[in-house]
Amino acid sequence: MVRVRGLGHAFAGRRVLAGLDLDVPAGQRVAVVGPNGAGKSTLLSIVATLLTPREGTVEVDGARYPDGVRDARARIGYLGHDPQVYLDLTPAQNLRLFGDLYGVTGLAARIHDALAAVGLLARAHDPVRTFSRGMAQRLGIARMGLHDPGLLLLDEPYTGLDADGSRLLDGVVAATSRDATVVMVTHDLDRARTLCDRVVMIHRGRVAWDVPAGDVDLPALAARYEQATR
Amino acid sequence: MSASRGRQLRALVRKDLQLEARTRETVTAMALFALVAMVVFQFAVGQRSDDATGVAGGIIWATIALAAVLGVGRTWVPEREQRVLHGVLVAPVPRLVMLIARVIVLWLFLLAIEVLIVPLGVVFFVHDASPEGLALVAGLCAVANLAIAVPGALLASMSVFSRARELVIPVLLLPALVPVVIAAAGGTHAVLGPEVQMAEFLGYCRFLAVCAAVFCLVAYATFDHVLDD
Repeated sequence: MVRVRGLGHAFAGRRVLAGLDLDVPAGQRVAVVGPNGAGKSTLLSIVATLLTPREGTVEVDGARYPDGVRDARARIGYLGHDPQVYLDLTPAQNLRLFGDLYGVTGLAARIHDALAAVGLLARAHDPVRTFSRGMAQRLGIARMGLHDPGLLLLDEPYTGLDADGSRLLDGVVAATSRDATVVMVTHDLDRARTLCDRVVMIHRGRVAWDVPAGDVDLPALAARYEQATR
Repeated sequence: MSASRGRQLRALVRKDLQLEARTRETVTAMALFALVAMVVFQFAVGQRSDDATGVAGGIIWATIALAAVLGVGRTWVPEREQRVLHGVLVAPVPRLVMLIARVIVLWLFLLAIEVLIVPLGVVFFVHDASPEGLALVAGLCAVANLAIAVPGALLASMSVFSRARELVIPVLLLPALVPVVIAAAGGTHAVLGPEVQMAEFLGYCRFLAVCAAVFCLVAYATFDHVLDD
């Protein structure tokens, strides 16, 4: 599903990715962990087509960048720290906009179902500006999954959420991503281990280690993380 | 699933109009600025001259160009301030469709303030304007707005990732609009005087159309790279 080879990128002369290779088969959930500045978000931004890499190649479901960028975009659902919805529009207006941009058919029913799935049906016509952070992020998840993306790219989607909000998001993410390939950047090792099939650690722009999530418990994962960043 | 470009274009234009209807930030700011500028010009010019018809076109179009800078400066602001930019850019929308949507919205915003400013300019500065002349100015607005909206939308998009966009937009846009303002003012002057000078008016309209076409070509050639690189 995702094939990354020799990926390199730099910001203002500082090398962030240094020949990173990563393969994510279809249907697999991969957690990408690592310290701040390791290159996790840069990797995700490049796969999400938001950044053009200086070196290396990216392929999503056979669509190779840059020629296949538009095909890849149609298959990607991207959620970052922010819900990426317009605060002055209502959830229904936001989802209609993104549904139209992605060419979703039967949009009215899809919007209804998506809002019901994230528990926002009763607030469908209120401006998002009146929502709490958690509610807005739930709308972000509805936006992300509206076009049934085959690849979900989640960049620390739990940022700023309280424990209740995070638990709610766990369930919504799990339901939304049931049939999708997932690449999730997170600092939460426990969530990485429990929600994903595989944990990949990036350090200094490369894959430092790559383990099946079921093979390690949390203390072992934390120990490996500490060892790699020391 | 793949969206038609027409559907994407309608969605982007509708979104901007919904945002404006909700917040009333852009058109209100442009209209208030233009109104105040016209009143200042009225005090500066109108009371010192028995007939300011000769400068009316220049005053009207300089005011519209300055108000356009305000409108262009507001372009992409919701996306930046509300952090929606990545959500929009990751959607499979051709960048040209995004540009055309911006052009349409700016064109409509300019038209909205012209409905206020042109009659006000006529009341303040023009003696004996004919209904025919006013109708021709309305036609001129349609072409001139395109020649303003295209470079405006392009520059707004070029500066979307720039920290100094409040400086970049006026510094780059106003010089680009100089020929547009000259032609639009000339065209307005040609038809708002006591006699409608149709040949002169059409010449200015053709020049504005050429300006719009050149800006469209530049935008077409560059816009894919503006938002993706």
